[in-house]
Amino acid sequence: MPPVNNKRSRRIWFPVIHSPWSDVIKFLLVLAALTWLLYRGTESLGYNWQWHRVSRYIVSVKDGQVIFGPLIQGLLVTLRICGWSLVFSFTFGLLTALLRMSDSVVGRGVARCYLELIRNTPLLVQLFFLYFVVAPVLNIDRFTAGVLALSLFEGAYASEIFRAGIVSVARGQWEAAHSLGLSTFNLYRYIILPQATRYVLPPLTSQAVALIKDSALVSTIAIYDLTMQGQVIISETFLTFEIWFTVAAIYLVLTVILSTMADIMAYRLKTIS
Amino acid sequence: MQGKELGDYIIEVERIRKTFPNGIQALYDFSARIRRSEVVVIIGPSGAGKSTFLRCLNGLEDFDSGTITIDGIRLDDNKENRLEIRKEVGMVFQLFNLFPHMTVLENVNLAQMLVRKKNHDEATKVTMSLLEKVGIPDKAQSYPSQLSGGQQQRVAIARALAMVPKVMLFDEATSALDPEMIGEVLDVMKTLAQEGMTMVVVTHEMGFAREVGDRVIFMDEGRTVEEGSVEQIFSNPQKERTKQFIGQIL
Repeated sequence: MPPVNNKRSRRIWFPVIHSPWSDVIKFLLVLAALTWLLYRGTESLGYNWQWHRVSRYIVSVKDGQVIFGPLIQGLLVTLRICGWSLVFSFTFGLLTALLRMSDSVVGRGVARCYLELIRNTPLLVQLFFLYFVVAPVLNIDRFTAGVLALSLFEGAYASEIFRAGIVSVARGQWEAAHSLGLSTFNLYRYIILPQATRYVLPPLTSQAVALIKDSALVSTIAIYDLTMQGQVIISETFLTFEIWFTVAAIYLVLTVILSTMADIMAYRLKTIS
Repeated sequence: MQGKELGDYIIEVERIRKTFPNGIQALYDFSARIRRSEVVVIIGPSGAGKSTFLRCLNGLEDFDSGTITIDGIRLDDNKENRLEIRKEVGMVFQLFNLFPHMTVLENVNLAQMLVRKKNHDEATKVTMSLLEKVGIPDKAQSYPSQLSGGQQQRVAIARALAMVPKVMLFDEATSALDPEMIGEVLDVMKTLAQEGMTMVVVTHEMGFAREVGDRVIFMDEGRTVEEGSVEQIFSNPQKERTKQFIGQIL
């Protein structure tokens, strides 16, 4: 092919390919393909879609009163579990990271053992262990056991994120703070952690999203979270696809909101420094 | 600056040794005694141990043997002592090391409030007068990234001075600066010297050394090769190694 033609065709196609509309069109094409696949799949299964029956499990109106369905109640439980677990896992993570970098040999050893133990065993096993073995001994309820299992698990991963963030603060910052006579606590509180926050925010957000998704596992110890409620509804109604899709969509909304909030925070931090 | 009145010995360093984990010996039985209000300039080729010595003086670097005493306090494994010494010894770094997430005002206020336990108003008063002194009172609300290198280094000097240190250490404070900004930082350092601050200065600025230095220590391979008055070292060095080095830099 002569190069002249090539050049002309580029001139014609370049603006089309690189306009924002081409992205929208590509996205719609992918979406259409997925829908078609799904349609064909369920058609061959002979699945009978009954989307109209789903709404009552989310919210319904009875005698002028709004009643939240089991899915919303499950969502509230999931939110409570995730909220507590988030706070505790970040606390465990930060403490473990600080322990691992401390001068104390025992502290480093304890942190290391915790990390390896948690990261190299399945979350489900940890959850069962806490619920069936530890909980009866310590006399804690299933909600606490679930939160504890999730916090310990995600905390181990969070600690590695915190550690990486702390290590990435320039050495000169430590030295400057030391030379001013700052105590170790003040050094971390005012100099190191504020700067590390910028580095850790994106990976920490991924970790929080993972936590929300992993929280579905607490349904195995009969906590009525979003996933558990979904399972119950399905066993009563056989609306398998509709309910699972709805549950997935609710998780998606939750994680997207979280990511967006993290983006806003990251943007603010960037504009400050 | 010759003939200025010097006080008693404020820094006493006895035969300190320091070997880095990679086997490089940075200081070999290095000793020095520095008087109150004295300005000591340390020169020498890179790798001579100049910076390591400075960093040992405020406990940023551990040493293997020997003793360092500053204003009567021994610098040893005792954490309290080390913190006490750091309060009294200010340090200015080659790369400024300002806190990038804080304004100039917050940078200078921080240690006054956390370590000297002043309230915000008292600290701010001191900070503003120090910024006046180093010539950038209008930059109090700026962030370090908005300042030139020379301005940043002057903030760093103000930050160290805010602790009212008894000794100031300068670790190649002008080496990272553009030529036209070196002067403004040296001017601040000269003012400090004239006010009677005890200063230990590692520098390649021979003009500065001549103008304000009371004494010059020429170091090589972790030891003092020769020391004496500025005149003596620059114009009439005795040792062959000193002659060679002075010949290269002048």
